[in-house]
Amino acid sequence: MANPSLQKAAWLMLAITITTAAAWEIHLRKSGASISYDETGPLWAHHRKKVYMPSEEATVFIGSSRNKFDLDTKTWQDLTGETPIQLAQEGNCPLPVLDDLANDKNFKGKLVIDVTEGLFFDIFPGNRIEINNALKYYKEESPAQKLSFYINSFLESKLVLLDKEYFSLSAKLKALQIPNRKGVFEFPIFPMEFNHVNFERQSWMTDRFVNDTSLQQQVQKVWLFVFDMLKNIPPLSTHDLDSVFASIKNNVDKIQARGGKIVFVRTPSNGPFWMGEQMVFPREKFWDRLLATTRCAGIHFTDYPVLKELICPEWSHLTPADAVVHTKELVRILHEEKGWKFSTIKSR
Amino acid sequence: MVFNSYTFIVFFALVLTLHYLPLAWKTKKINLLLASYLFYAAWNPPFIILLWLSTVIDYVVGKKMYTETHVAKRRLLLFISLAGNLGLLAFFKYGGFLLQNFTGLCQLAGIDFQAAKPDIILPVGISFYTFQTLSYTLDIYLRRSEPEKSLLDFSLFVTFFPQLVAGPIVRPGQLIPQFKQPHTATREQMLQGLFLLSLGLFMKVVLADSLLAGPANSMFGSNQLPSTVDAWAGVLAFSGQIFCDFAGYSTCAIGIALCLGFTLPDNFLYPYAATGFSDFWRRWHITLSSWLRDYLYIPLGGNRKGHARTYINLMLTMLLGGLWHGANWTFVVWGGLHGFYLWIEKFIDDKTGLVKNMVQSGKKTIAAFTYALFTFFLINITWVFFRASDFASASKVLKGMFGLHKGEAILTTLDLIKAFTIIAGIFIVHWLLRNSKVLTVAYKAPWWVIGIVWALLLLLLIWSQESTSSFIYFQF
Repeated sequence: MANPSLQKAAWLMLAITITTAAAWEIHLRKSGASISYDETGPLWAHHRKKVYMPSEEATVFIGSSRNKFDLDTKTWQDLTGETPIQLAQEGNCPLPVLDDLANDKNFKGKLVIDVTEGLFFDIFPGNRIEINNALKYYKEESPAQKLSFYINSFLESKLVLLDKEYFSLSAKLKALQIPNRKGVFEFPIFPMEFNHVNFERQSWMTDRFVNDTSLQQQVQKVWLFVFDMLKNIPPLSTHDLDSVFASIKNNVDKIQARGGKIVFVRTPSNGPFWMGEQMVFPREKFWDRLLATTRCAGIHFTDYPVLKELICPEWSHLTPADAVVHTKELVRILHEEKGWKFSTIKSR
Repeated sequence: MVFNSYTFIVFFALVLTLHYLPLAWKTKKINLLLASYLFYAAWNPPFIILLWLSTVIDYVVGKKMYTETHVAKRRLLLFISLAGNLGLLAFFKYGGFLLQNFTGLCQLAGIDFQAAKPDIILPVGISFYTFQTLSYTLDIYLRRSEPEKSLLDFSLFVTFFPQLVAGPIVRPGQLIPQFKQPHTATREQMLQGLFLLSLGLFMKVVLADSLLAGPANSMFGSNQLPSTVDAWAGVLAFSGQIFCDFAGYSTCAIGIALCLGFTLPDNFLYPYAATGFSDFWRRWHITLSSWLRDYLYIPLGGNRKGHARTYINLMLTMLLGGLWHGANWTFVVWGGLHGFYLWIEKFIDDKTGLVKNMVQSGKKTIAAFTYALFTFFLINITWVFFRASDFASASKVLKGMFGLHKGEAILTTLDLIKAFTIIAGIFIVHWLLRNSKVLTVAYKAPWWVIGIVWALLLLLLIWSQESTSSFIYFQF
């Protein structure tokens, strides 16, 4: 075996690997791709650890993707002087996180809960998988995983090719969209211009998405697919709905008893999405009851002219520019109408 | 920490740097020992105490047992070692299982006994290092070897990080002598080690995690009744996943040790090209099957006490081997099925010698290929019990595989393609290389072919981005 063949092979391997990876990175950047972070387990756990910051220094956000798109973290930080801690998880019900925070005696801070009824009231099957995985990861994270997270985050901040959501092997194979047999369930994919995630876990759509109606229509088709799914799912029984409200009230009471502050927020949605939501989740039966049961403050976008006018290009999430408008209005309402105090209110 | 993590890359780079500094050999061994403790503590620091406990018990007991001449006292010392090691294993791994079965028995007897579900975390790799230390005391008890004088060398034998948590299960004679002399890798060994590490990571990250875990999890996790195609695709995907996951780990372990200048025994030799079940167990998790053979099957009497006892010993070994894998009756059935296959094979072989001749000749005949395919078919049936969480799920999958119910389409076309093509690829590679070793093949190929293949492994590794999932065998 004592021959030099592996040395030559190793040099060739290095040359091919470095050249190909570099070419792939350059190609992606030239095609307009930008840095995006994997928002699951490790990054979620990283932000979850910050909830113990004093309430005058931070606000925690939980919910679904709307909270992640519609809250501009930089605007929030600039206006309030406080750190926004984004713990919302796209496509997931926020109640496991509410439960986690309520049972964490050290959490006494401010909490903004996004209410996307279809996810919040827990009627989609499997809409707790990612958030439960994230919570499990947070509770079981090993020292080795912590270090890996910091290295991974550094690399993700430098390399576009590490966008797992769109450029990984699995994502590329799925993007082939090979037709399935009848009856096979497969969730459709979103165009890659739709969802990018920064280190603060804020989601944003690209300029191309904002300006390209065909891309927006692709996402609208995904929502129509979701509505079709919804048709096959029986509505929550009165008993189940009562249990959901009771559980929310119980958790809200625990946090408020420790001095925490909670506000529910119904972020904008438009078009057929909003129409469908109104039909399935009439305001008086869900939103109004939620506020009445929990005795918490609430901000519904239809109650505020500025929010009501905001347009979601794909019916459900705001553009980065409108996220700034939304965040400013949110801070104003919280400060002026809901009695929330912030370290520094600079200006609207 | 897991090999497929950024933390391990940093850790390994530091260990290699320290190992190749001009330091005394003893200092290097201390470095390796501390690194091994750090490697283990990076999961759950308190569990390091279990490693120390196991090390101290066996070191002390081994020394005393060797000098003790009184039979009863020797047995007592052996009991202490067994109780210490197996006691920890029983508590952490089988505590919940025993309690669950006890509760079940009470209810069968009409006694209303409800036990609180124990909240026990399984220390990573406890089954592996327990068996490794047990072999040390058993060898001394059986007068096969002498106790190790150096606590440092013994501690390193118990803790050596490349194989600490998922094997290969190393015997004292295979590793401790290597600690006696300075060991560093030559440049060629270093490259061989890095090549094996790349191959192992490719198997784990790309094949097992990125491509095969999806179809296997979708089929086994579905509430629907699977159609025949879906059931087979899911089982075949798991068959590939478990092989690539575990053999991938072993390949990494061997490669990492080689980079440090140490040699670990082979743990897998193309098992899916096995012609028969005795051949399969000479190719799958070799260090466990040889451990079970030497410390369970042979002490039970092996084949020395007549036909009937041979069959019983064989079955007992396989049943316990099954239970070693997990605290669930499904694992026992998995072991039992292997025992049953071995029975039939032995029965036929005793009459005709067909299988033995086929294995011994090693020729790639059509008959051998057909028998390898048949063996693989039967192995897949056993994997159903290994993967299913309970017998109801296993029954559902088996019925699907044999078309005993009208199942539904579950897997996507992409999942079907992944499962069938990758498994076909694995089977063909195993068949073609069944009589050789990876490095031998690598050296026979032109250097540029190896260079391209090696680059492809790494590029796919980067591309797959599945960086931190645990190895399946860690839970065992």
